[in-house]
Amino acid sequence: MITVKNVSKEFVSNKKYPGFKGAIKGLFSNEKVSKVAVDNISFHINKGEIVGYIGSNGAGKSTTIKMMTGILTPTNGECLVNGVNPSKQRKINAQNIGVVFGQRTQLWWDLPLSESFTILKEIYNISDQAYQESMTFLNKILDLYSFFDRPVRTLSLGQRMRADLGAALLHNPKVLYLDEPTIGLDLVVKDNIRKAIKEINEKYQTTVILTTHDIEDIEELCSRIIVIDNGKKIYDGSLEKLKDTYGTKRKVSMEIKQLNAFEGIELSETLGVTPDLCSTRLDVEKNTLEVTFDKNKLQVPQVINAVMSIADVQDIQIQETELAEIVKAIYQHNVAK
Amino acid sequence: MNKTLKIYKPFAMNELKRQMAYKASFYLFLVISLFSSFISYFLWMAIYGSTDANTLGGLSQNEMVIYIFMVYVTSSIVTISISEWVSEDVVKGSVAMNLIKPIDYRMSLISRAIGTMIYQFMVPSILVWIGLEVYKVTVLGMDLTHLSNIILYLLSSVMSFLIFVLFDFCFGMIAFFTTYIFGMLMVKDALISFLAGQLIPLSFFPEGIQRIFDFLPFSSMIYTPVMIYLGKYQGSELIFVLSRQVVWVILLYILGDLIWRKVTKRLVVLGG
Repeated sequence: MITVKNVSKEFVSNKKYPGFKGAIKGLFSNEKVSKVAVDNISFHINKGEIVGYIGSNGAGKSTTIKMMTGILTPTNGECLVNGVNPSKQRKINAQNIGVVFGQRTQLWWDLPLSESFTILKEIYNISDQAYQESMTFLNKILDLYSFFDRPVRTLSLGQRMRADLGAALLHNPKVLYLDEPTIGLDLVVKDNIRKAIKEINEKYQTTVILTTHDIEDIEELCSRIIVIDNGKKIYDGSLEKLKDTYGTKRKVSMEIKQLNAFEGIELSETLGVTPDLCSTRLDVEKNTLEVTFDKNKLQVPQVINAVMSIADVQDIQIQETELAEIVKAIYQHNVAK
Repeated sequence: MNKTLKIYKPFAMNELKRQMAYKASFYLFLVISLFSSFISYFLWMAIYGSTDANTLGGLSQNEMVIYIFMVYVTSSIVTISISEWVSEDVVKGSVAMNLIKPIDYRMSLISRAIGTMIYQFMVPSILVWIGLEVYKVTVLGMDLTHLSNIILYLLSSVMSFLIFVLFDFCFGMIAFFTTYIFGMLMVKDALISFLAGQLIPLSFFPEGIQRIFDFLPFSSMIYTPVMIYLGKYQGSELIFVLSRQVVWVILLYILGDLIWRKVTKRLVVLGG
């Protein structure tokens, strides 16, 4: 469905100098600075997949999306969406795709929502029957009719986002790009949006590409994720595999009365492993001991036994490493590539 | 053709509705711009009053009255600044929203401009125009403008509109390179009011400079239709000025196409 082949995007801009003197210097200098936003990325996405495209701010996610939608032309390489090169045949490509940019709207700000939909109907050349069908379905999952007659500028963010999603789906696109669709929304609306995306994907086999900073979005929706950092692709695969590969750390926190018993004791020595596989942290205020260890090398009972041999344990909590922490680690370059 | 019309008609209708939604600002603008027409009216009357000559720059005092107010009528339907919309789209980054739809950006802008044109034609222009004709007959004691002149004027105005918006589209493309074009918009407005004959009829300029104006698209924007309305062009000269307008429409259309292709190659979308 989507093939991205060795795509790079480089932005060239005039060099800016700091301060007022710099501003004047900038007027006369012709120095250019180039920034590589996307660096030689390739991937292939099949029909009906929901792919999470994640990376820190400025990693190049939106730039990639913009190249796949035909807004930007790649400096090198090419994209093919449904057999069409988006930057060369932008209008043909646009018929096949739906796009939601969470931070802006494609609706007509001053007009009632219903007008925006009528305009989109004409733009995408949708027949009356198909329009009715789409609207019935979209109203069912997004509840659009409850604010259909209100000008877009008066809608709340949650309503606007639902309306935007509806607008992107009206022409039943084969590919749906969602650039941070849940940004700034409350939990209930987030949940509704996710359900809607899921339903559309199931009903029409729509391919969905989703960028987000919300880990729950990914956990609930995506079967596959692509991680990019500094414009380079650093991971491409299933969510489980990512957790397996990077989420090897486990955390056990235990409530202990005599916390001072642990002072000066290295738990890794007690367990007979090297210190990098097992680390401890004492929280005097809460009376807890936190042990982080490698789940491939140590078992939970082993750790608990070792602790109990030193002091009495009152309560135990075992935590699986959350995706959020993996992603955080990736963003901070802590994970070996 | 029919399909194109169907796609772009909503943009025009939309703009019409939008204009009506912001009525107060529109009427304020209308009053202010009519104000400047009255200022130039009194200024010219003073100039004609202090000279013994019957005509200045080929226009009699009465013709000058018609000239001033027809410039108002014409510029309110011709000078619809789409470059402002382009600059707004670039600054807000909403140009991306236009590019994700299967539409031509320039066509959508021109359609919006048509919506604005229709509204401005119906509300201030036609009223001022009728008022002017009534004034002409009752106060100045002249005949009503001949129907053939009115038809030719309307035809020429439509081409003026196209020349203006096609030129303004090319101009607006600067926004993609510099992001902010407010200053340049001011310069453009000032230049056009001068070069298109909004301030002073072009016939007031020396021969040599008039020849230069002939080679610029600006004279075709406002001066040409107004002079046609005044019946200053006859026969072959009339055909010449009309075909010059057609040539400008074609040239600016091609130029805009070329620039747009260049721009989309190096487009930078701001924000997000």
